[in-house]
Amino acid sequence: MAVMHRALFTWLTILVFLILLVLRLEYKVTWNWFLIFIPLWLFDCVVLLYITINMIRHCRRGFDRNDVSMRRKVYYMTAVLLKMTFQILLCLRFEYFNFISLYMAMIPFWVLLTVSCTDIFIGLVKL
Amino acid sequence: MLFTLKEMVRWMRMTGFELWLHMISVFIFSIIAVLKYEDIITQSWWIMFIPLFACDGLNAYFCVIVFIRMCHEGDRRIGALRLLNSIMSIMLLTVFKYLLCRKLNDQESLAPSEVMAPLFILLQIVMIRACKLH
Repeated sequence: MAVMHRALFTWLTILVFLILLVLRLEYKVTWNWFLIFIPLWLFDCVVLLYITINMIRHCRRGFDRNDVSMRRKVYYMTAVLLKMTFQILLCLRFEYFNFISLYMAMIPFWVLLTVSCTDIFIGLVKL
Repeated sequence: MLFTLKEMVRWMRMTGFELWLHMISVFIFSIIAVLKYEDIITQSWWIMFIPLFACDGLNAYFCVIVFIRMCHEGDRRIGALRLLNSIMSIMLLTVFKYLLCRKLNDQESLAPSEVMAPLFILLQIVMIRACKLH
């Protein structure tokens, strides 16, 4: 996918999610939180598929067209899985298990942000 | 994941440092907000939002510095456009955070759609920037 397509897909996902979120918060709809998060599930599935295809291509050819290492791809995959875990925990917390403390739900998010911040910082230092 | 840092910088028209500042501020805010939500901290929401407002302030300061440097180098027109672009995004984000803070403090009975309005405007700007990517 070209950068523009990826950017527009991300934009559309966020837009639909925000609209659904507003509708849910205003009690215009009383859908399950897992349904409200559908745009984000779809986005995660597409990203997972994209990374998996890139990994398979890398393994077959032995190199990557964009010079992204296999280690980096594994990092991307872990990041998506952490994001999905965070979303699942958040939905479970709001929909079914009110007794779960918010700390538990936030742990994957904090791990993801810590790793991403460190990664961007290293990228900035290298630039 | 889906974008490299360079692509994000091109899309958002922000520097890597600005993106990093946003992430750090969201990280600190999320920790403080959870502590407040769980009633461990009893201070007002305005204090919880300090990292987010500080980030916006730093980003605005950074943009002005870049503009001044570009003016010195003779790129006044490009610098002004960059400043306008960045300040508009920062202002929309700040207004969103301000409205969210007022809502959480129960100072006004704002509807969630009203709080989110600046974000929807920002999303349209982001979409236009996405269309300009090659």
